[in-house]
Amino acid sequence: MNNVLAISGIVIKELYRRKDFYVLFVLTALITLLLGSVSFFNDAKIARYLKEVCLLLIWISSLVIAISTTARQIPAERENRTIFPLLAKPVTRGQFIMGKFLGCWLACGVALVVFYLFFGVVSESRGRGDSSAAGLSATAAATDASSKTDEHDHAAAGSEHHNEHETPETTGQRSVVLNYVQALWLHWMMLGVVTAMVLLGSVVLSAPSVSITISFIGIIGILLLGEHLNKVALRQPQPLQAIIYTGYFLIPHLEWFDIRDRVIYDQPAIAFGDCGLATLYAIVYTGLFLFLTWFVFRRKTLTL
Amino acid sequence: MRRASPYLVLGLLLTICFAVATTIQPRTRAWSDRAKSGDVLKMLLGDGRRMFANHFFEQADVSFHSGYYPSIFDRREQPGKTAMASGKDEHDEHDEAAHEKEMAFRGQPRDWIEAFGRHFRVTEHTHLAHGQEREILPWLRISAELDPQRVDTYTVAAYWLREKLGKIKEAEEFLREGQRNNPDSCEILFELGRLYRDGRHDPQRARNVWELALRKWNAQESGKAEPNYFQLEKIAVHLARLEEEAGRFSRAISLLELGKKSSPNPDALQKQVDEIKEKMRARESAPQAPAY
Amino acid sequence: MSVILKTEKLRVEYASRESRSGTKVALNGLDLEVRAGEVFGYLGPNGAGKTTTMNVLLGFVHATGGEARLFGVDVREPIARQRIGYLPELTYYYKFLTAEELLRFYARIFGIPRGEADRRIDSLLKLVELEHARSRPIKTYSKGMQQRVGLAQALINNPDLLILDEPTSGLDPLGRMKVREIIQRLKSEGKTVFFSSHELGEAESVCDRVAIICQGELKAVGKVSDLVAQYQCDLEKLFLKLIGYQPQGVS
Ligand SMILES: Nc1ncnc2c1ncn2[C@@H]1O[C@H](COP(=O)(O)OP(=O)(O)OP(=O)(O)O)[C@@H](O)[C@H]1O
Ligand SMILES: [Mg+2]
Repeated sequence: MNNVLAISGIVIKELYRRKDFYVLFVLTALITLLLGSVSFFNDAKIARYLKEVCLLLIWISSLVIAISTTARQIPAERENRTIFPLLAKPVTRGQFIMGKFLGCWLACGVALVVFYLFFGVVSESRGRGDSSAAGLSATAAATDASSKTDEHDHAAAGSEHHNEHETPETTGQRSVVLNYVQALWLHWMMLGVVTAMVLLGSVVLSAPSVSITISFIGIIGILLLGEHLNKVALRQPQPLQAIIYTGYFLIPHLEWFDIRDRVIYDQPAIAFGDCGLATLYAIVYTGLFLFLTWFVFRRKTLTL
Repeated sequence: MRRASPYLVLGLLLTICFAVATTIQPRTRAWSDRAKSGDVLKMLLGDGRRMFANHFFEQADVSFHSGYYPSIFDRREQPGKTAMASGKDEHDEHDEAAHEKEMAFRGQPRDWIEAFGRHFRVTEHTHLAHGQEREILPWLRISAELDPQRVDTYTVAAYWLREKLGKIKEAEEFLREGQRNNPDSCEILFELGRLYRDGRHDPQRARNVWELALRKWNAQESGKAEPNYFQLEKIAVHLARLEEEAGRFSRAISLLELGKKSSPNPDALQKQVDEIKEKMRARESAPQAPAY
Repeated sequence: MSVILKTEKLRVEYASRESRSGTKVALNGLDLEVRAGEVFGYLGPNGAGKTTTMNVLLGFVHATGGEARLFGVDVREPIARQRIGYLPELTYYYKFLTAEELLRFYARIFGIPRGEADRRIDSLLKLVELEHARSRPIKTYSKGMQQRVGLAQALINNPDLLILDEPTSGLDPLGRMKVREIIQRLKSEGKTVFFSSHELGEAESVCDRVAIICQGELKAVGKVSDLVAQYQCDLEKLFLKLIGYQPQGVS
């Protein structure tokens, strides 16, 4: 374990000495703030488009960070021959793989925390009450809205009144924070699977550019299409249908871990049981990919 | 001399570049009309921006449903009308039911993966309400930016601005922008009229705008093989009500007759005509009553 | 004297597209024995298989046949590498780290406690004369400096056996001399040194025993003086003769 931690420490050190992460963060922040400064119809309460864009950028950046750093790790070690003095020490190849994985994954975690803090600040700076559960807020808008007050507006104004007596407001606030934390957690778990997958790719395909490209296509494909493969399969003729179905059951369903919609649209938090199951699922797949990586790398001849 | 020569070469190359650029530039204008437009988006995306505009228009509808939205894999057929767009017309029981049916796209999960995955999705069909409708506006704005010729962007946005958010001024500005980009659109004129009537309480201007819309409709549609009668009916019926309120009963009747020709439900209009005739008769018997 | 490095019928084949069989034999039935406390020179022309031997000893390459042991432990066990120090042929280290950080990282892998590690790092940096550059990233080092970082990292765990792949390549005469001094000092401390080289003079001056290999086969092994006596010529002539070089040349 000590060895694993030492190796992961080096990975993290490399990541923060290289500047990729800062570039992505600044880019995300810049685009978000730029969009945030645009006024749509003089309405300062509009928040969701900003959340949507910000989260999308965060997802893209996190995938870029995870894939590009992980895919480079082992090929770079071999190309720079830094792997030789390292493996000449009493380090097993398994520890080496675990160290690389852990380093990349932890680095992604740190990056995610920074990103989500930024996201929290952005979305809280917009319509504070607005981000609490859907029905609760609205209020202020309803009052300065049209002059005609129908029953709905009354109801909304009533609920606002209620809010000031603290309880619903604080629960709303708590559910928002819980939502963020769940989103962050699931995102991180997903990146664990991604990192392990890319690590496997980088061992199988030794050219980093190839493994980066393939990983990107594969992971984006899973995120966009993964949950629909069963529907796609139904429309195919037989041999193809069976193949797609098998794929559907084999691939890691990363799209589960994408709960952006629930955060953007202020949905109630996910049950902890489901969160735990998803985490377990991610761990199983991460373990599987790490095992495969080790299996391939175990007896690999390490010369140039 | 030797030390200066790289700079000389650089200077020479720059001069050549400049010369070539100045000779080519006027010609490129003829190559494509992309370069002609000053619009950056248009230049970058070309006609692809229409596709993007469509995407953002849909995104507004997604937003309107708080993320509960069918993907292309869930749709059985191309949805005709988005819910936020249909929401703007008078709520129709039939429409509502159809929408509910369309949005019940999930059905029973086919396998455990799908079943479990639903815990992480938005699974309730809701519409924004209580002023939260504002969240759809940025997407519409972007859509309009990308495709200024898409009329429903303006009308939908204006409807929500006026009806739910009380932003009459912004709605009017946006419609005016739409009108500048689509000077012949009856839809925009119709929406503008509603804004004047309901938002500004200015029936006179509403009437002018609707009359203009009618004229435009006649100019554009009547010659066509399949004129847009739905539009005509909408304008005619609304204008008729306005005329009725203003006491110009005969004009109102003629408008309703016009609408009747194209209405799917002519009996209701006929009933209105009868009512107005009733009123006319009542007025004729008591001519001193104020008209307005 | 105990044998701490031993290979028996070691055979290594690389996959190769050039030869018809699809493999290239890099080592062919190599038997080597290095005893505790000696400085062992491993000589051979380019492509003889020196680096390959070391790669097998360190577990980078798996032998096709035969076996190799360090301290009596099969080289495939990581624990065999606990008491060795290794200097690779071409030295590249994590360029973004400083020499000090690099040494600390390796110290951590050997499980050396912090205080002890600090002490060793100080003395090693002094030994290889890199104290002035200890907190500069390695990417700013010259080749010779990098080579010396390599030497320092090979010594971090105070190893009993040192495996050095051409430790003097790329160093100036002064640097070479220093390396020779270090090797001799290590010997006086009772360490075993197994190093490869092309420098026959160097081997002659520091080695207790030498082995000469060519095309993956052992040609001669023994004390330099014994070999010279046996073949009745100096080491250079002997070397050329063993690798099959004829001065007259048959074209
Ligand atoms: N990865 C590889 N694939 C194929 N052949 C290889 C590989 N590595 C080495 N060889 C071959 O094995 C033989 C031995 O190489 P090795 O590197 O051990 O030589 P060396 O004695 O270290 O030479 P030098 O003095 O030039 O360092 C050479 O013929 C080389 O071409
Ligand atoms: Mg070599």
